[in-house]
Amino acid sequence: MARPDAETEVKEATAVSLENVRKTYQLGEPVHALDGVDLEIPRGSYTAIMGPSGSGKSTLMNLVGCLDTPTEGAVVVDGSNVATLSDRERTALRGSTVGFVFQTFNLMPRLTALENVALPQLFQGVGRDERRERARELLERVGLGDRIDHVPNELSGGQRQRVALARALVNDPALVLADEPTGNLDTGTEAEVLDLFGEFHDAGTTLVVVTHERHVAERAERIVHLLDGKIERIEELGSAGKPDEPVDGSAATEEP
Amino acid sequence: MNPLESLRLSWRSIRGHKLRSALTTLGIVIGIAAVIAFVTLGASLQAGIVGDISPDDQRNIYGWAADPDTEGGPLAGAQPVVSGDDLESIEGLEAVDAAYGYAPIQSQAVSSGGEQVAQGDGVIATGSSYVREDTLREGRQFEPGEREAVLNPAAAGQFEENVSVGDEITITILGGQQATAEVVGITDSNEGLSPFEGFEASPRIYVPTDPYYVEQAGAAGLGDEGPLGPDGGEDGGEPDTEDAVEADDADQAAQAQADGDDARFIAVVVEAPSADEDDIDAAREAAIDYLESDDSDASEFLGDDLAMTFQTSAELLQQLEDVLDLLQNFIVGIAAISLLVGSIGIANIMLVSVTERTREIGIMKAVGAQNRDVLGLFLAEAVILGVVGAILGTALGLAAGYLGAWYIDLPLVYPLEYVALAIAVGVLVGILSGLYPAWRAARTDPIDALRYE
Repeated sequence: MARPDAETEVKEATAVSLENVRKTYQLGEPVHALDGVDLEIPRGSYTAIMGPSGSGKSTLMNLVGCLDTPTEGAVVVDGSNVATLSDRERTALRGSTVGFVFQTFNLMPRLTALENVALPQLFQGVGRDERRERARELLERVGLGDRIDHVPNELSGGQRQRVALARALVNDPALVLADEPTGNLDTGTEAEVLDLFGEFHDAGTTLVVVTHERHVAERAERIVHLLDGKIERIEELGSAGKPDEPVDGSAATEEP
Repeated sequence: MNPLESLRLSWRSIRGHKLRSALTTLGIVIGIAAVIAFVTLGASLQAGIVGDISPDDQRNIYGWAADPDTEGGPLAGAQPVVSGDDLESIEGLEAVDAAYGYAPIQSQAVSSGGEQVAQGDGVIATGSSYVREDTLREGRQFEPGEREAVLNPAAAGQFEENVSVGDEITITILGGQQATAEVVGITDSNEGLSPFEGFEASPRIYVPTDPYYVEQAGAAGLGDEGPLGPDGGEDGGEPDTEDAVEADDADQAAQAQADGDDARFIAVVVEAPSADEDDIDAAREAAIDYLESDDSDASEFLGDDLAMTFQTSAELLQQLEDVLDLLQNFIVGIAAISLLVGSIGIANIMLVSVTERTREIGIMKAVGAQNRDVLGLFLAEAVILGVVGAILGTALGLAAGYLGAWYIDLPLVYPLEYVALAIAVGVLVGILSGLYPAWRAARTDPIDALRYE
């Protein structure tokens, strides 16, 4: 899909591009978790990935998040083909270009909110004062300016997820990857966090949200439907951040 | 990642598990403390013993006849072979300044001013220069042939009224005979004056060999049961003597003493003109040559199973130090085992920690921690545990050594090189025991780790 001579253009306009990506696991017999996926995620876009269990969502997320390498094909993140990188280079790329938000928050339990947000910059070799300054600024942006010295145990689920979002953004990543970011939150908190996602998207952040909840996915500009390791269809939703219907209790029900 | 940041983060996780970290460290603390305490005590003990050799003693050569195969310290297996004539002849040798006998006298009691005190050992018959002038607090050395005695402060102080110069004491010898002596001097120390006596403090009375030992030896020779007196090593605090007593030799020696009043001495002291090594060797050689020649009375006993040993205090101490060193190495070896156990403890707890923190490792890797960063974190944690253990152990060991030295009344000597060594060992133990767990942590796959519950 991408022409070789258009690489510069691709790099400028695309945060992530997948080209005929296959991921095969050898579990007795080969299992094709991803079976030829082509996808482009433009910079500044807001993409949701949906699909039933076993459709390849997690595998796709691991590849886009530079946690894994494809068996076949090319995964180009911020201009670098993950498949050709060494383990160390892949880790470096992940640290500088991808921000993660997890369903279970995954904060360091003994570190304060501030230290959690500053953690990725620690591994980038950023100085202590600069780290703390940047972390404080982000925590204020997610509305936790008064909670910076609290450890995760002292924070509510919504607050934890906002700390996680601040941490994902701390290195100015090319892409924020959220895996069921509201799966552990109640409806009200969910809306708050999704609103925050919308705010950051409006400010230019590229967002990819993996979810199996329709109303979460509908916050995005488009929904990529996965089925059996293939892209079933791509649903364009127009402008992001405006769900078709108001979020209420009925919309929060989970799919079976 | 900056090593300082690693240390900071590792310190955080150690503080996160205070009890666990403390118990893990305890293994190292005990190991290091044991090593430091025993090494401190050993060094103090050596300093205490070596400090007892005054310069004058250094020209003395202590000799005794024993089976060459006998192991042990001074007087081990000693037999009375050297006669008074021999000593006179040795003293006449060019390389020798003075030569005199040394014999513990088996006593029962000592009395002074009507008060009697039981004293079974510590009465020593010897030459007058054995009690060196610089060790006298008051009075003078005794004269050979006179009924005079020099006491140490402990012996002088064991009576209600302290014995002082000019007083008369009565020594009751085993067997009941009594001998009187005029006190002519008091020494300044309760410790032994030579390796023959040992260095521990106890009451001691020094008397001339003539008349006290000569008389006693004559009396014993006349008795039925053989060499009670001359075989004085038994009650002189040298338990090793018993096993090497050859019935034949003892009988012959007793016989020889019975022949006349030429008493045989269990030990002799030969003084070289100076403490110079050449002079000492010359005096030693001259004495041995004479004793082994046919001119001497001793030569009739000396042979394959009985040979003269002549050693200086320093040489005798060297043997003692060798034994001390051996003992110390043994204890340090045991302490080293406890260190090994301690480091296994660190390794074990680090492995548990790595498993327990799999998810944290996953998080760190997801946000960009390289393998070496994770390795560094866990290694730093193990090294901190090791170093903290070493520091606490060193402090504890030094304190224990201090208390021990104070309790046994030894001059305190801190082996500083061992303190440095202990810290190095702490670092080493930390690295060795943390390496495998840290490596396991470093190669954790972030995908699995993030899924880990």
